[in-house]
Amino acid sequence: MNSFAEWLSTTAPSVFIQNHNGWVIPLIQSIHIVGIGVVLGSAFMIILRILGWAGTDQTLRQTASRFSPWVTISLWVLLVTGILMVIGEPVRELVTFSFWLKMVLVAVVTVIATWFNRALRQHEPYWEEALLKRRSVQGLAILTFLLWAGIIVLGRLIAYDHIWGSWSPSTKA
Amino acid sequence: MDIIAFLKSLETSGLATRIRESLYLFPLLEATHVIGLALVFGTIAVIDLRLMGLASSQRSFQRMASDILKWTWAAFALTGITGALMFITNARVYYHNTYFLVKMGLLVLAGINMGVFELTAGRTVHRWDKEPFAPSPGKAVAAMSIVLWIAIIFMGRLIGFTTSRAAVAAPPPSTVNFDDFLPGSAAPAPPPAKK
Repeated sequence: MNSFAEWLSTTAPSVFIQNHNGWVIPLIQSIHIVGIGVVLGSAFMIILRILGWAGTDQTLRQTASRFSPWVTISLWVLLVTGILMVIGEPVRELVTFSFWLKMVLVAVVTVIATWFNRALRQHEPYWEEALLKRRSVQGLAILTFLLWAGIIVLGRLIAYDHIWGSWSPSTKA
Repeated sequence: MDIIAFLKSLETSGLATRIRESLYLFPLLEATHVIGLALVFGTIAVIDLRLMGLASSQRSFQRMASDILKWTWAAFALTGITGALMFITNARVYYHNTYFLVKMGLLVLAGINMGVFELTAGRTVHRWDKEPFAPSPGKAVAAMSIVLWIAIIFMGRLIGFTTSRAAVAAPPPSTVNFDDFLPGSAAPAPPPAKK
């Protein structure tokens, strides 16, 4: 991974971002954070509906139809801006424990979101009448929120990977 | 007591010192700040799009506002507390940082914008509660709100780039060998980036 990160840092797009890092990187990071706001806000609305804490004037299906597309669109925006950040600062991003743990959690939460949308489409009445009241489903909703929060924390910790001590490849002697 | 002396006393307080000396606290404050601001922006955007008639336009505005805005305020409190704790660690630097001052100004504008809503469309909410969109002043406030919050996010990120040690690091030449920066090589490792 180190040699890949080094190679990436010598490519033309990477050099361009490095040479304009005064504004390109903050700009990309800010767009990334706006995307995070849309993802977290949208996921939060669905989670609150599952818990029955907000939006109970709408069915779960209506709530999911309203907010899921925003989760999907923002995840694409986050992927693109995320890739640009990796291209711009390959070593800072890739040679960290935080980045890879974050990627694992992103994969887990994407699987959960995809499964949820598919299951809701296929068994809509069952979700609305029975599953919503189940403790396990509500627990999964809260867990999903915590996963999103964990992803955000890990994203910020990429800049502070040394706090992981020996788990961080950037501190390995 | 003048402002600079006050800021200095914040910096030298036990709490600020504790945060500065900890390996974990400042990064975790930053991360919690991001979670809070993501919820603030995400939930406000839901309300703003409803006001503009771009989404959820068939739902009662008052119902949505009462469901959602309490979470927005809770998230805003979280952002304010974590922001204040970050501020006291380096109060004089933030106080003199242009982006920080612009961000605070934009937050004031966001508050004024909210006040404008209360004085205009907010007064007649019972008349348009179930309409697909708010009267023109409400729409304008909603559009302004989205613009302001995005600008606030940008300013916040720029503060991080202009108040830390790594802020003005020159870009490395394209021929640089990154091995030199990794521990275990002859060259000393750079200080951890904080941005």
